[in-house]
Amino acid sequence: MTILRFTAGYVPGIAHEDLSWHILEYGTSDTKLEVKVPILTSNQILTVTQGIKSAAQSQIKTMAVSDIVRAIDLAILRLLDVNHEDRKCIDTLLPIATGMDATMLCHNFSQYLETFRTLQLHRFITEDFTNPKMLDEFQPRITGGWTKAVGADLITHIWAGNVPGLPLWSLISGLLVKSGTIGKVSSAEPICASIFAKVLVEVEPRFAGCLSIIWWPNENTHIASHLFQQSDIVLAYGGNIALAAIQNQVPVTTRFLPHGHKLSFGMVSKSALSVVRAKRIAAQAAMDIVRYEQQGCYSPQMFYVERGAQVSPQEFAQALLGEMAALAHKYPRNSLSIEEASNIASWRESHEFAMLQTSAVQVLGDKKDAFVVVYSDVPMPLNPSPLNRCVTVVAVDSLQVVIPLIAEQRQYLQTAGLATDPETLLQLGGALAQAGVTRICAIGEMTSPAAGWHHDGRFNLLDLVNMVDIEASTEVAANQLTNYEL
Amino acid sequence: MANNASVIEDEVMAFMQLNAVDDAAFNAMALRLFKHQAQLNVPFQRFCQMRGKTPRTVTHWHDIPAVPINAFKDLDLTCTPTSSCERIFMTSGTTRGDIKGRHYHPSLFVYDLSMRLNFEQHLMQKMSKIRMGILFPTVDMMPNSSLAHYLKLALDHFGTQDSSYFMGPSGLDLQGLSLALNQAQQTGEPIALLGSSYSLVHAMDTLEAEGIDFKLPESSWLFDTGGFKGQSRDIEADVFYNQLSNRFGVPRSQCFNMYGMTELSTQLYDAGNITTPSIKRGPHWLRTRVIDPISGQEMSKGERGILAHTDLANYNSVTTILTEDVGVATDDGFVLLGRAQGAQAKGCSLAVEDFLQAARL
Repeated sequence: MTILRFTAGYVPGIAHEDLSWHILEYGTSDTKLEVKVPILTSNQILTVTQGIKSAAQSQIKTMAVSDIVRAIDLAILRLLDVNHEDRKCIDTLLPIATGMDATMLCHNFSQYLETFRTLQLHRFITEDFTNPKMLDEFQPRITGGWTKAVGADLITHIWAGNVPGLPLWSLISGLLVKSGTIGKVSSAEPICASIFAKVLVEVEPRFAGCLSIIWWPNENTHIASHLFQQSDIVLAYGGNIALAAIQNQVPVTTRFLPHGHKLSFGMVSKSALSVVRAKRIAAQAAMDIVRYEQQGCYSPQMFYVERGAQVSPQEFAQALLGEMAALAHKYPRNSLSIEEASNIASWRESHEFAMLQTSAVQVLGDKKDAFVVVYSDVPMPLNPSPLNRCVTVVAVDSLQVVIPLIAEQRQYLQTAGLATDPETLLQLGGALAQAGVTRICAIGEMTSPAAGWHHDGRFNLLDLVNMVDIEASTEVAANQLTNYEL
Repeated sequence: MANNASVIEDEVMAFMQLNAVDDAAFNAMALRLFKHQAQLNVPFQRFCQMRGKTPRTVTHWHDIPAVPINAFKDLDLTCTPTSSCERIFMTSGTTRGDIKGRHYHPSLFVYDLSMRLNFEQHLMQKMSKIRMGILFPTVDMMPNSSLAHYLKLALDHFGTQDSSYFMGPSGLDLQGLSLALNQAQQTGEPIALLGSSYSLVHAMDTLEAEGIDFKLPESSWLFDTGGFKGQSRDIEADVFYNQLSNRFGVPRSQCFNMYGMTELSTQLYDAGNITTPSIKRGPHWLRTRVIDPISGQEMSKGERGILAHTDLANYNSVTTILTEDVGVATDDGFVLLGRAQGAQAKGCSLAVEDFLQAARL
């Protein structure tokens, strides 16, 4: 048996031996991984938050946003190099920690990192700030006066472990607005954020005091509330129940930005259902399902498929099943806990019982398959699956009828993956937006949101700053108080 | 049909009254019932066809398709027409809103015999009767509750004349309970308190609020069942049995937990709760396997899996059910670790379980 050990976290200003460490365990009976994560005392939280706030003032807040972009790009470049020790470390540890397939993880991670190169980061900024210089200094406004975007002094991030590397989004966003950062890694994936922090500090020493990566057990509400008292913003990913618990501890004066449960789905129009096109779309849909094992907020859980084309919805479901089988071979499903396995089995069985009562529902494939495709010949409202490659294909007479079928889940809707002709896209776009969908993309791209996307319909950067205005009157008044006379 | 059913009933009851049975005898009886059920229980027949299992291909009881307990909600799993069944036990229906699982019993002869033989062996400790206090609604109040029926059987067969219910339409009868416990304390006559885990917690809280505790006579015992759904079981159980033991002055070795389900006709018991989680054991007509829910394969000893029970007293529905309980097999039973429904997604993709949980809030 091999045991790998990794020390996660990054705590500037406190010696390693002065911290207490908790060990998180991963792996199988063959290969085990032990990850040490730092837990801070209340006093240490105070030391670290004060240290970060003061370092942020003197370091990151004095950097031009272009310098920050350059530094991030250097760090990303290093991680893109699969021969670099830091990247090798991620590629070795991540499959053990997540149970996901190593090849798939490696490929997805590189693709994901590419969203954070210089050009993409500038796009990221421009998406939220028409004049990015307002992050550096006061900029004139067309209507008079000046405005500067001032990043929070301290942002606390609470990350989920569903999508490997997920912390990079919000961590980079925080850096771009020149905020101090404290990140809590998830027990499910404490690795990427820790290595990224280490690389950032190595490529840009001015970041050294401005961020910290820590961990605490969820039940320790004391640490959380202590930290939230010191934070300007608390940004959290997770289930709605966990988010509600966090929200309870956030003071009213602290901005709370939750990213809760989401539900995403795909739609395939008649125009995509020729024999050749349908096969391609099915393959792309299968990739969207398999990537991240449906754990992402953007991962599809149902596909609505239009009737009336060469390939019927049922045939599309069969094609999807075939693609899933091929991918199961290429990228085996991650190892399941007994609870997950039981949920999948009972989900499958509940549809099998439906089969005993109606011919409108079919469970495709074999019980022992590492994926489940359920086909419904009758309209079915959007409903979540037990994830881990479980998907429902629903036949509809027209994609327009999908809108009422997703209405019930309005508060959870996020991504709709579309395979339609341009005319249908235009028709559906408005209706989907109205229904609560916040992202529409191509099937095959559902799990790779574009740089600068509006996550859950919100702004990545704007939510992290305060706009500070100098109104025109100030200048008029100031001009009356000059020490020279005109 | 009725005749057929009564023949089967007699066979099963004779089987239960044997002192012990070997593997071959258990297998033979299980296959006899499988054949009967695959023939007369129409939804089960179709379920078996779907799984490709028929009496001709199944030669070992391990291969009898395990019916998930959710099926009791969707299907009428019975060999006897529902209209000629004497009793229907229903689940409390906590997971899928108002849809309740239904277990049909043509008569209660087998159920009652199973209960009596097993209860006597695991709980009565060679006493023929004991004074009982029941902290659960009566059968009149809950006619479809298998637990209400079970507790009535306990009281009727093993309770002394002065046994009684301390739960009425308006809730816990604190006065009656205190009086009975005080009497027991004074006379030294042992007493058994039986109820759901919830009702015992409620009774403890009420007694605590009144500042009352007891030191019940030797040989007294406490009985709970049901557990605490959705709570971290290990810690909860340990705290629960400490409190129970302290409040009533009964050692944890005399605090028994029963594992039962509406979908079964037989219960399983532990031998006290000195440590938790305790080992649960059933009688010779019930066998439990710990399996992987997707492959259906048995887990190796010591590994966590989902519990599947083969209960030969389930002669009219299906012998073999697949639960949603997680457990680990031991040499002569299993350890219950909780419910699999607690599984939650690691992140922000809404999973069906989170959804149900959210819907319950």
